[in-house]
Amino acid sequence: MQPTSMTFTAETCNQHSRIIRIGKALDFRNAAEFKSSCQEQVRSGARNFILDFSETGILDSTGLGSIFSLYRQVSPLEGQVVFAAVSRPVQVVVQLTRTYKVFRQFPSVDAAKAALQ
Amino acid sequence: MDTVTHRFRDLNMIVDRVHNLFEQWKDENVFSSPLDEDTLHMLRLAIHEWVANLVQHAEFRDQEPEISINLMPSGARVFCTIEDNSLGFDLDTSLRVREATLESFPERGMGLLMLEACTDHLSYTQTEEGKFRLKFSVSADQDPWLHIPF
Repeated sequence: MQPTSMTFTAETCNQHSRIIRIGKALDFRNAAEFKSSCQEQVRSGARNFILDFSETGILDSTGLGSIFSLYRQVSPLEGQVVFAAVSRPVQVVVQLTRTYKVFRQFPSVDAAKAALQ
Repeated sequence: MDTVTHRFRDLNMIVDRVHNLFEQWKDENVFSSPLDEDTLHMLRLAIHEWVANLVQHAEFRDQEPEISINLMPSGARVFCTIEDNSLGFDLDTSLRVREATLESFPERGMGLLMLEACTDHLSYTQTEEGKFRLKFSVSADQDPWLHIPF
């Protein structure tokens, strides 16, 4: 299966906060990699995750499920998962699933960083 | 845009090829009003979820996979047909089982439910030629909702 060429690198904001650039796609092809990357960050002390969707053309059900998995990990630790720079295709998924009720959205990564400080 | 049909045989490439087609259609502005951008994204999502389902779960036995996607815009609606030569499955039962067992913040099991939520008149039936055909339409006039327990 052709993998979506993507490595989910994390940018550190502070001791507990990370920015994850989602890139072109988060779907069934790379959701396991996303989950693994995030788990590594949680093990290193991260609790808050800013997901940068500025370049994302595909967020599917498996991708969304991996975000739910992250949320289930960090919420007992009083951590947060927030969405930044949500692209139109991602907004369609957010609207369809009403996940705006769970994940705060910010117009930019900088706005999300400011809110999580 | 008139009716278009595209055929695919390589399951490793089909997802990228489908999305490349949507990008091409967007660049060429082939979908006209009243089909708005969000409706086209909904259509793209629906096709992606089904193709992802075929790639991950369909049984083709010894046959080379053959998947054809047909799109027919009609006013504020797009009719879509996706035919495959897999062994098929009972979509209706699968949907009801998934709906009944959906967990809070589910990690899996949402794909077919998302497909159902964002489409109308969804069906998956066997053709006279022994293939299987998914049919649905997507409309610009709706605000669909998949209820996920939070």
